[in-house]
Amino acid sequence: MSVAPVKARTDRLQAGLKARYARERRFKLYGVMAIAVAVGFLLLLLGRIIEQGHTAFYAHELTIPVYMDPARIDRTYPQGTNFQLLVAEQQLARFGITDDAQGTQATAMRTLLSSELKFRAAAMIRENPALIGQTVPVTAPVSDEADLYYKGEITAETPSDQRRVSDQQMAWLDQLKSDGAVQAKFNSALFQNGDSTEPEQAGVLGAVVGSALMLLVTALIAIPIGVGAAVYLEEFSPRNRLTDLIEVNINNLAAVPSIVYGLLGVALFINWMNLPRSSPLVGGLVLALMALPTIIIATRSSLKAVPPSIREAALAMGASKTQTVFQHVLPLAMPGVMTGTIISMAHALGETAPLLLIGMVSFVPGIPGGLTEPTGALPSLVYIWENASERAFHERTAAAILVLLAFMIVMNAAAILLRRRFERRW
Amino acid sequence: MIWLFLPVLIALSALAFFGGREIASRRAGASAIKAHSRPSQHGYYALIWVGVPALVVLLAAAIFSGPIEQSVMQAGAPDSIAQLEPFRRDAFFNDARLVSAGQQPHQIWPQALAEQLTQEARRYGDLSRLLSLGCIVGALVAATLGGLFVYTRISPTLRARNRVEGWIGGVLFTCSVVAVLTTLGIVFSLLWDSLRFFQSVPIAEFLFGTQWSPQIAIRADQVGSTGAFGAVPLFAGTFLIMLIAMLVAAPIGLFSAIYLSEYASRTSRAVFKPILEILAGVPTVVYGFFAALTVGPAFREAFNGLGALMVGGPLDGLGQYLMLVQNQMALVAGAVMGIMLIPFVSSLSDDIINAVPQSLRDGSYAMGATKSETVKRVLLPAALPGIAGALLLAMSRAIGETMIVTMAAGLAANLTLNPLDTVTTVTVQIVTLLTGDQEFDSPKTLAAFGLGLTLFLVTLLLNIVAQRIVQKYREQYD
Amino acid sequence: MKLPFFHNPAKASDGREGGASDNPGLPLMGGQIVPGVTDTTRPDETRDESFLTPEPEADARGAPAAQRVPAVTAASGTAGPTKIMARDVSVFYGEKQALYDVSLDIPDKTVTALIGPSGCGKSTFLRTMNRMNDTIQGCRVTGRIEMDGNDINTKAIDPVLLRAQVGMVFQKPNPFPKTIYENVAYGPKIHGLTTNKTELDGVVEASLKRAGLWEEVADRLHSAGTGLSGGQQQRLVIARAIAVNPEVILMDEPCSALDPIATAKIEELIDELRERYCIVIVTHSMAQAARVSQRTAFFHMGRLVETGNTEEIFTNPRERRTLDYITGRFG
Repeated sequence: MSVAPVKARTDRLQAGLKARYARERRFKLYGVMAIAVAVGFLLLLLGRIIEQGHTAFYAHELTIPVYMDPARIDRTYPQGTNFQLLVAEQQLARFGITDDAQGTQATAMRTLLSSELKFRAAAMIRENPALIGQTVPVTAPVSDEADLYYKGEITAETPSDQRRVSDQQMAWLDQLKSDGAVQAKFNSALFQNGDSTEPEQAGVLGAVVGSALMLLVTALIAIPIGVGAAVYLEEFSPRNRLTDLIEVNINNLAAVPSIVYGLLGVALFINWMNLPRSSPLVGGLVLALMALPTIIIATRSSLKAVPPSIREAALAMGASKTQTVFQHVLPLAMPGVMTGTIISMAHALGETAPLLLIGMVSFVPGIPGGLTEPTGALPSLVYIWENASERAFHERTAAAILVLLAFMIVMNAAAILLRRRFERRW
Repeated sequence: MIWLFLPVLIALSALAFFGGREIASRRAGASAIKAHSRPSQHGYYALIWVGVPALVVLLAAAIFSGPIEQSVMQAGAPDSIAQLEPFRRDAFFNDARLVSAGQQPHQIWPQALAEQLTQEARRYGDLSRLLSLGCIVGALVAATLGGLFVYTRISPTLRARNRVEGWIGGVLFTCSVVAVLTTLGIVFSLLWDSLRFFQSVPIAEFLFGTQWSPQIAIRADQVGSTGAFGAVPLFAGTFLIMLIAMLVAAPIGLFSAIYLSEYASRTSRAVFKPILEILAGVPTVVYGFFAALTVGPAFREAFNGLGALMVGGPLDGLGQYLMLVQNQMALVAGAVMGIMLIPFVSSLSDDIINAVPQSLRDGSYAMGATKSETVKRVLLPAALPGIAGALLLAMSRAIGETMIVTMAAGLAANLTLNPLDTVTTVTVQIVTLLTGDQEFDSPKTLAAFGLGLTLFLVTLLLNIVAQRIVQKYREQYD
Repeated sequence: MKLPFFHNPAKASDGREGGASDNPGLPLMGGQIVPGVTDTTRPDETRDESFLTPEPEADARGAPAAQRVPAVTAASGTAGPTKIMARDVSVFYGEKQALYDVSLDIPDKTVTALIGPSGCGKSTFLRTMNRMNDTIQGCRVTGRIEMDGNDINTKAIDPVLLRAQVGMVFQKPNPFPKTIYENVAYGPKIHGLTTNKTELDGVVEASLKRAGLWEEVADRLHSAGTGLSGGQQQRLVIARAIAVNPEVILMDEPCSALDPIATAKIEELIDELRERYCIVIVTHSMAQAARVSQRTAFFHMGRLVETGNTEEIFTNPRERRTLDYITGRFG
């Protein structure tokens, strides 16, 4: 049966070799390229978000002397005063510009100032009414468009349909800056405020609190039920059709698209149970149902990892089945359970689609105070801001993403630490 | 409201535990018989009998009080409201509820109805207070009855431990039933509203119609008008984006799995696996943001630039077309979704390739095969069913993915397979139909449930088939 | 005899005498391909080094190892000329040494049995002869193994070509999940040994015939190889190995997963194959060693204790440990 005479066979072996090694190298290269695409994309994604978002962490503030004009300020109701216009007019006078009868210039100047100016000035007056009649420096953020100009994201070259700052306003801003009235500061509003229609005032705190409340509900519901179900299926359940059905069911639930859970939330919790729309309660319930299968699967696999010898030892000591499970098996499986749970919570934190359906697309200013009040959530805030027309919301969207990612990184790191710290190999 | 009762219930249960323990140890001390169970087990027994019945009452109240309120309100409604058409009537009661909770109504009602609204809101407030009170009383009664029952039962001969363990088993079983209830909840809620939808739009119309323009139908005179709810363009758009995503994810995911499982050293595996996991952990809304603000504009500029080069040449028509390409092309959403799916495909395939027994690799290497020959000729054929299952699961993911398409694909329901066109998907339309401030009962919102049902059934089918395949595959090598 | 797996005989003999490290520039040197590195439990830092056989002693003393160290026993009995010659072969898995300075001559056209208690290193030694240890991360081989006088552990040797010369049969039958035909055709296909379908058909038929399987599977060549019985699968794997016409066949406990009847068939087959090939078989069963082999080497605790003609080893061992083992006192 000889394949070929020795010499011929040798030649054939040799002849193919070069091509075979070339194919080998090419094949390996494809693998390297695939990994490179994945890694490269991740870097690109994170890089772009940091690039777009880092500017949102600082903002420009204007410190401007304000003559607290007694003729314009109502002592008893200082917040009723149009401070922005007042300041704008004074600033125009300082620049030596005379306004027309309609106050066009003053309006143009006014739009460079944030409405925060009004609240700050009013607060100063409330605290110390004696300031009326004096000239005091007031510090307040500049408006979002002015801020973008200072950050260099809008320039004179930007096509005029893509900016709302006129060339004249730019000149004023330059003037203010060269006067030393403008400083770049850490944008604390981003972390201290709820959502707002004015970008320079908008912050993520409301959404963070909303997400936290939601996760609280999710954790309180999903963890006990998920762990309980897993313990039942892994330790107690008889092997029969019912438990087989439950198992298949759980595996399929884990793969149901998240938006379907949103529909369930709308139909069940809002339309049927009349729970309040946009509330952390409903959001948490929906996320809990979503997280349930993941928690069950993670818990089951860590229960499986506990060797049967532990169970046998406990049973042999006269412990009942329940005692064995709750006093021996579950504590040993706990690190794995917690790791799986934290990861599924992190996943729930980033889930967006169901939240949109239960009404978390609407604008909710301020910071939610309870489980039944309308609230936003971090991922839905990202969606809302991304859709906002103001250009200044773009950088804030990226910043909100960074905050969201930071929370997820913290949670995942906690999970990894937990796993490292308590990992046990049998 | 009734949840404020929860702390009281917890306190009662704690009381039951300590009381039960105390009573049990006293009765055991007074008796000559050796107690079967330890006092604290009696305590738990008492806790269960006090806490669980009350909790069941509260849960039932939470689930059913809404529908009960609704039907009582409707039964007692004045004629002027009862005569409203169903959608309007539901919206009216919805607003009455909002007013009674101190919020603003959603709609502005005509003068006559607005007066009714205040009245109905008051009636609603009274009713819901009455119901809450009833629930709390019911819960207290249940707890008391349970407590009395336990009080008569505690004795040294009572097998409290076994009873408690029986209860624990029951509770654990109930936990696992929640998963089944969730599925039932999904099926029924989708079916219920879909059936209402299919009353106004024939099912064949929905499944085979090629015209999708639901916004026309919200005008009152055109409710359920024909031609507005043909979902074929959505199915086509979903399919197109899924196809693009798989074309990206399948080769890249598969090759990274092969590289990680067959080529990578331990160190590079330790570096690259977590990176893929990070990619998998990024929320989809972030991918959506990236697709909408980075990939979309970049692709558009590239195609527009390419088009500008072609205009005037032999491919003038194509050039003209390319210059008009928009940000929201199917290609952008599909490509970014494909990237999102890479870690999913890769980790599933990695598991599956690793499940191929080492002896097959050894056999192949011992024959003098190179690594790539072994992968191509032995491992991949052996792992093929498993990989097919993994790809099906990825497809189901792609079909159900919402945020990327919502943010990066368009709303225009074009029936096309051109990846440079704007298409819309089932999930995008669900979001569009259900967000906004309209009431939940118009045909437009019900259409979302019809779409949801279709989506659920298709993904369920894919998942079941995929899981079967993967399970069979695993059993083969176990 | 010229070995086909040398790309450059002149360079290769350089490599043999002057050490492996002085021909790194050859494009097709072994070591470009490291198949089967899937075991992640071992450190990988020595992965590539396993190709560079360190031979400091050979260099220092300036003489080929073969002339320095005599084999444990002088070749005696019926065996053909020495096919494989091992000198001072040691194997390390990471820090752990699994084989200590084994020197052994394996004659051609003979069945050599490697026996010994489990964990004694006999399988490890077997795997050095086709460099399958290369596929294990962290595994390192020192010493010298020559086939027809050529060191197989130098960089000049391509493990892919070496394995085309040295077939291997494993403990558990491992047919690929393909058809019977595809299984046997695998080797000729990947090595490009046949040029057309007729030739390939001929090779498949001849190999199956030689493995004694043709009669049983001739009518179902295109059904799955995994559908055969255990013994048939093992003969299929043997057919697969001989389809590339190797010179040596290594068998790692080929019958341990089989029933007695299938075992008998395989043993019969081994006896027939002896006429053409150099066969090395690792076995747990001393009875099997006695039945099929002409030469026997007894391993214990990673060392070669004794080697000789099978008859002598079993009737009149020189070492106490060998006697204890074959009489069942340990192992």
